[in-house]
Amino acid sequence: MNVDRETVEGVLFALPYLLVFSVFLLYPLLKGLRMSLYDWNPIFPSQSEFIWFQNYVRMFNDPVFWTSVKNTFYFVVLTVPPLVVLGLLLALGVNREVKGQRFLRAVFFSPYILTVSVVALVWMEIFAPQYGLLNYYLELFVASAPAWLSSYLFAMPAVAIATIWWTLGFNFVILFSARQNVPERLYEAAKLDGASNWRMLRDITIPQMKPALVFVTIVQFIASFQIFGQVYIMTGGGPGNSTQTLVMYLYEIAFQQHEFGYAAAVGYFLFAVLITVSLANYFLLGGDQ
Amino acid sequence: MTEQPTHRTEASNEDLESRLRTAGLYVALYGAAFLFLLPYLWMISTSLKPKGQLFSQVPHWIPSEITFAWYRQVLTQSLIVEWTINTFIIAVSTTVLVLVVDSLIAFSLTRLDWPGKNVVLAVIVASFMVPTYVNIVPLYTLVSELGLLNNYLAVILPLTAGPLGVFLLVQFFRDFPDEVEEAARLDGFSSFQIYTRLVLPLMKSPLTALALFTFVTSWNNFLWPLLVLQSNKLYTLPIGLVTLSNSQVFQPGLAMAATLIASLPLFIVFLMLQDYLINAIQIQGTTG
Repeated sequence: MNVDRETVEGVLFALPYLLVFSVFLLYPLLKGLRMSLYDWNPIFPSQSEFIWFQNYVRMFNDPVFWTSVKNTFYFVVLTVPPLVVLGLLLALGVNREVKGQRFLRAVFFSPYILTVSVVALVWMEIFAPQYGLLNYYLELFVASAPAWLSSYLFAMPAVAIATIWWTLGFNFVILFSARQNVPERLYEAAKLDGASNWRMLRDITIPQMKPALVFVTIVQFIASFQIFGQVYIMTGGGPGNSTQTLVMYLYEIAFQQHEFGYAAAVGYFLFAVLITVSLANYFLLGGDQ
Repeated sequence: MTEQPTHRTEASNEDLESRLRTAGLYVALYGAAFLFLLPYLWMISTSLKPKGQLFSQVPHWIPSEITFAWYRQVLTQSLIVEWTINTFIIAVSTTVLVLVVDSLIAFSLTRLDWPGKNVVLAVIVASFMVPTYVNIVPLYTLVSELGLLNNYLAVILPLTAGPLGVFLLVQFFRDFPDEVEEAARLDGFSSFQIYTRLVLPLMKSPLTALALFTFVTSWNNFLWPLLVLQSNKLYTLPIGLVTLSNSQVFQPGLAMAATLIASLPLFIVFLMLQDYLINAIQIQGTTG
């Protein structure tokens, strides 16, 4: 009797979430897999034609797709290492007993609460070619400066700079708290042995912070790999296809060209890459310990 | 001096070195902080500038005359007030819904025993792997079949379905002391009473963390509302801002005034609840 009652209660308590979860997460996930095998008709879905793996074949033969894959990885390379390294440096710096620790923490974290449109619009002002802030100082000190967002070479780095400003605070906060959790006695013991600062960093701080560093790297990779808003607003994928990223391309295929089946296939490619990379990172970097 | 290395000079050398190091640290940290603040300062400065100085090649950090014309123009000639209200309604509803639904299932998964619950938890945790954007195409067709396009439910429900909150709360609810629960059951408390009177009040801090995190995420949500909200009046701030800068004659002063107005609510939340918010991020870091 008792068991039955608990089962009924258990299911009742779980039901509301399970309902939204099944309808708005699981079902679309499976539906997307199915859609990716069809030449999907957005207006009359029942008239969609089953075409096996043709969407995937098309994807692998689509030069714009490969350009967007390349651009996405380029963006990942431009953002993930600096975000992890700078986040770590700031975390280690603020961890010392500096005056204004709270102020510094707030300053570094604050851009993270801004919405992507605010970030994009502010940096468009800064990167503006004629009256922009950055180019005025660059030309003052360095020489000529590029028209950042309309330059094949500099558009992606510009988006990366805005992104680093925007999201560094997340990594900083996580690494800062990880650093604070390293037991102080480890350093005291090392100091008694006359260890240098560098050795303490290498042999105590970094190994102790490893789980947090692995977490931050994986989360950052996943976030950077899915970059959309910044390019959508700042460059629209241009100039040419130079800032066309995977999600940006997926958006265009689906909502400008209305090729839902093909877009679903690209979505599944994205999914496969992210799962592979997450699992690889997790095991290679020993995140499972 | 260096030729007679006594203990005193060694000590003061070390002292000097550590002082230089501290000075260097301060310069680096506050230098970085200054660079971080520059975009805000430029934003404020631009939003207060008269027309004549907006496109000047030499940056005027402090405008020759301060004008609030851009703010007036944004507030009166755009829908920014409506967008703020819309965003607020959506963010609050999402947050409330997430708190209720996630805490109910987390309670069920940790405090109640029923067959299959481990499978359910495993599926929810595994769904962490699903990136937001993989689902947008099938989700869009689903929402349009359900007739939810241009409806706030279409913005709210997919965020409610996310696994993060369940995962987070399960970690905390697991640690709820068994003795307290057993004592309550002996006193004749029903499961629902244990949930509302014991678990929820005692789990305030993870619930607050989840609430803040959900609120900020919902407030800043961009791509999904852009897809499902198709009328100007229903827009949220993030998408409203973009259409604003696209549609009107481009004016940096106007754009910056709008972005400042749009960021203000979250900045107030941030200043008031800074520690909670940072705590929420840290919890996410340690449980993830």
